Amino acid sequence: MTAEQAAEAAPISAQAVEEALLAFLAERIKTSVAVDQDLFGSGLVSSMFAMQLVVHLEEAYDIAIIGPELKLDNFRTVQAMTALVLRLSAARDG
Amino acid sequence: MADALADERAFVGELVGDRPAAWDLAGELPVELLQKLGAKGILCAEVPAAFGGLGAGSLDNGELTAYVGGLCSSLRSIMTSQGIAAWTVRRFGDREQRRRLLADLTGGRLAAVAFSEPEAGSDLSAMRTRISPDGGGVVVDGRKKWVTGARYADLLVVLGRHGDGAAAVVVPADAPGVHVEPIAAPLGCRAGGHANVRLEGVRLPASSVLGGGGQPLSMLFTTALTYGRMSVAWGCVGIIRACLESATGHTKHRRQSGRPLAGHQLVAGQLADLLVAEQVSTRVCEHASRAWESGSPDLVIEAVLAKHVSAGHAARSAATAVQLLASAGAEDGHTAARAYRDAKLMEIIEGSNEICRLILADHALAGVD
Repeated sequence: MTAEQAAEAAPISAQAVEEALLAFLAERIKTSVAVDQDLFGSGLVSSMFAMQLVVHLEEAYDIAIIGPELKLDNFRTVQAMTALVLRLSAARDG
Repeated sequence: MADALADERAFVGELVGDRPAAWDLAGELPVELLQKLGAKGILCAEVPAAFGGLGAGSLDNGELTAYVGGLCSSLRSIMTSQGIAAWTVRRFGDREQRRRLLADLTGGRLAAVAFSEPEAGSDLSAMRTRISPDGGGVVVDGRKKWVTGARYADLLVVLGRHGDGAAAVVVPADAPGVHVEPIAAPLGCRAGGHANVRLEGVRLPASSVLGGGGQPLSMLFTTALTYGRMSVAWGCVGIIRACLESATGHTKHRRQSGRPLAGHQLVAGQLADLLVAEQVSTRVCEHASRAWESGSPDLVIEAVLAKHVSAGHAARSAATAVQLLASAGAEDGHTAARAYRDAKLMEIIEGSNEICRLILADHALAGVD
């Protein structure tokens, strides 16, 4: 299932977001990561890729990640990004 | 569609007129002209109407940027700075900051963005500027280098370390502890108001830190810089168009050995090169702007590509224009002479040729298992 399809299945599940994110990461950085792996601390995320991640999540899940949501802690791991996506999607639909 | 900002373009053309040569020689832009353009939202045209901006898309703003770049790269560099500041506020500012600061930036207040440091250009790990808690507010300490537009700015958007991450802090240029030291004679964009900035114990309210800070430095840096790369890329398209126009105008009318210069094949070949440069650069910028408008993650790499391609073509086109115009273009202040100096700078700022090529090589390798 692609991220786009995942976005249309309502409500989106944490598992679906995690899987889509892992696939996106595998495709872009050619590395398998664990859901709780620190992507920034491990040097896996280049300065270019940090912004690509934000734009990808916004586009794939039709959410806006701006202002205080752009904190390092929201992007550190796949789990953190998944929680962010679920929270912003719920806020949008709520 | 192509004329979405036609009124704004006419307004700029009217205000600028034939003054860029004199601005270049004097090394200064009239600040009241910058304020007028700022108050019309022209310096950061992509700010949405809801925040007081023109709400232009990347393509339309790109064409406006090219137009300004063709007139005067110093003025275009101010547009780039104001645009980066507005974009950074839009992305990282909280609700109140977006409302307040975007109104300022489309209301005539001028901004500059401070990235580089004496020991840290593209090497982010070497960034030393620190934004530290201080009672209920923050204190900013650091040195920033080559800040475009700082000489005219009311507000400085300063990137620095913040906790274990980073932050962008909006510093009033007249705050105690802010020292703006203009660079006397830059090679190019001479009227761009470049300055070195020292920040010594600058105390500010917590509301000055965009989004409360704590962003990844790499995300903050690349987000801000990507807008800058788009803007510089389009500005380079303007430089190339100005070179093409002055070179064709000159070689069609100036006669040598009984026929127009353009009738000599060695000259004609160079005119073809200029046209190719203009077309290739325009197309690569349009491509990046479409990626930007559609929210594609590829926009980050497309912006690097557009900047690198356009800056290289601008530098070569400017050298060609000076060659073709010869003595007519060699006088300081002339379109070709300015283009020659300004375009060289475009190969250095917002990611040098070398940094761009490293990023593009990484991108090429990323597709290989």
